[in-house]
Amino acid sequence: MPQFFLNKRLIILLVSIIVLVALIGFSLREREKVTWPEQFLKDMTGFVQNALSGPTNYIAGFIENVQDLQNTYSENQELKPRLDKLASLEAEVQRLKKDNAELRDIVGKEDALSQYEPIQATVIGRNPDRYHENLIINRGENDGIQADMAVITANGLIGKVKNAQSFTSTVQLLSSMDPTNRISAAIQAEDNKKVFGLIEGYDKDKKLLMMTKIPYDAEVKEGQNVISSGLGGVFPEGLIIGKVVEVENAEYGLTQTAYLETGADLYDINHVMVAKITSMSAEIQEELQSTLEEEEEEE
Amino acid sequence: MRKYLLPFLFLFLFVFESIFVQYLPTEMFGSDRITVPRFLIISILFLTVFSSRKYGIIYGIIFGLLFDIVYTGVIGIYLFSFPIFAYLMSKLMRILQTNIVMVSLASLLLIVLLEIGVYEINVVINQTDLSFADFASLRLLPTVVLNSAFIIIASYPLKRHFEKFMASVSD
Repeated sequence: MPQFFLNKRLIILLVSIIVLVALIGFSLREREKVTWPEQFLKDMTGFVQNALSGPTNYIAGFIENVQDLQNTYSENQELKPRLDKLASLEAEVQRLKKDNAELRDIVGKEDALSQYEPIQATVIGRNPDRYHENLIINRGENDGIQADMAVITANGLIGKVKNAQSFTSTVQLLSSMDPTNRISAAIQAEDNKKVFGLIEGYDKDKKLLMMTKIPYDAEVKEGQNVISSGLGGVFPEGLIIGKVVEVENAEYGLTQTAYLETGADLYDINHVMVAKITSMSAEIQEELQSTLEEEEEEE
Repeated sequence: MRKYLLPFLFLFLFVFESIFVQYLPTEMFGSDRITVPRFLIISILFLTVFSSRKYGIIYGIIFGLLFDIVYTGVIGIYLFSFPIFAYLMSKLMRILQTNIVMVSLASLLLIVLLEIGVYEINVVINQTDLSFADFASLRLLPTVVLNSAFIIIASYPLKRHFEKFMASVSD
């Protein structure tokens, strides 16, 4: 049927399906950096988004303020007793900080995994199609942001930087489905013990984060706090992730899986901080690098 | 004047979708339904009908590519579905009468098809684990309701604008 193959539209359709598959395959590949035309387009739309999100932010802020005013009385009642405790807490924190610094001096270890420098950023966009939970923020490489940095709000961890352009960056939320998105975390169990596990995936039905690979004999209870462990070397230590809601045995019963409620609201996000690690001294980095290389050689 | 306004109108709609989702996600009201604004593709479909198919497909390609790069990060899904749906719309309008009610109903039908198509692609490339029943009740239905509200509000102004645009181009 020569006529069938001469149909121009059919050829265009077939060629575009091939290109479609190739493009999807290209963009799903794990990429260290997005290509420069993508970066350019993202930055250009970033300018427009910045310009438009300014006024909307202002209006939304105003509405929020009015709503806050309505609850002022009850909030005040609740906060007054806490205020009394604050002074003593502050004094204790000061003392502990000093203690900590002195002890570090004695041990000779200056850096901690928990040290980071927060970079303030404003959310200027969110993916409308909601399959990929991405945010766009108005800070980029020029402000020191790099891929894989932790993104937090005042209430805890919300995600990581997926990729950074010069003036904007894309943030991947904890709730997005990505099998490569793993965070080393620790549950603060009783008696100051830490139970380690991995944050891996999001249960869409329960709307809860999943923490897997918890040892089967660890005693994990509801309501315990979960923080980042800092062992991955990418995220700083001690960022609040959430609270345990439910614990169950994983498949085969060798490990446990905990379901966490995130501390931060993953929907109502306007201002975020990007945690730039400052503590990674050259020594630690070399050590990490060498262990990684060893592991690769073993494989 | 009107000629140069068109790209800015679409750029505004493009950014407006993301602002809409950021400030008014239904999760804020304690619901687990997901509404997806499809204002951009609705306007592209109206552009196809009321100005010309050529413009509809060109704008579909440009803004589909932008959507993929800026929002989803997976290039290809919207880059192809936007122009293909613009083309389908023009074919559909040969059968149907070109009045505003029929155009609105046809674009609503295409929105449903677009949602299902995008869902199926995302299932194939393993980017979602939503079952089809959940997809239909949690995503599709609320999305159709939201977008029909948008069509009711915006259909007449869009029609007027695109017709005037066509007149100014042909001058």
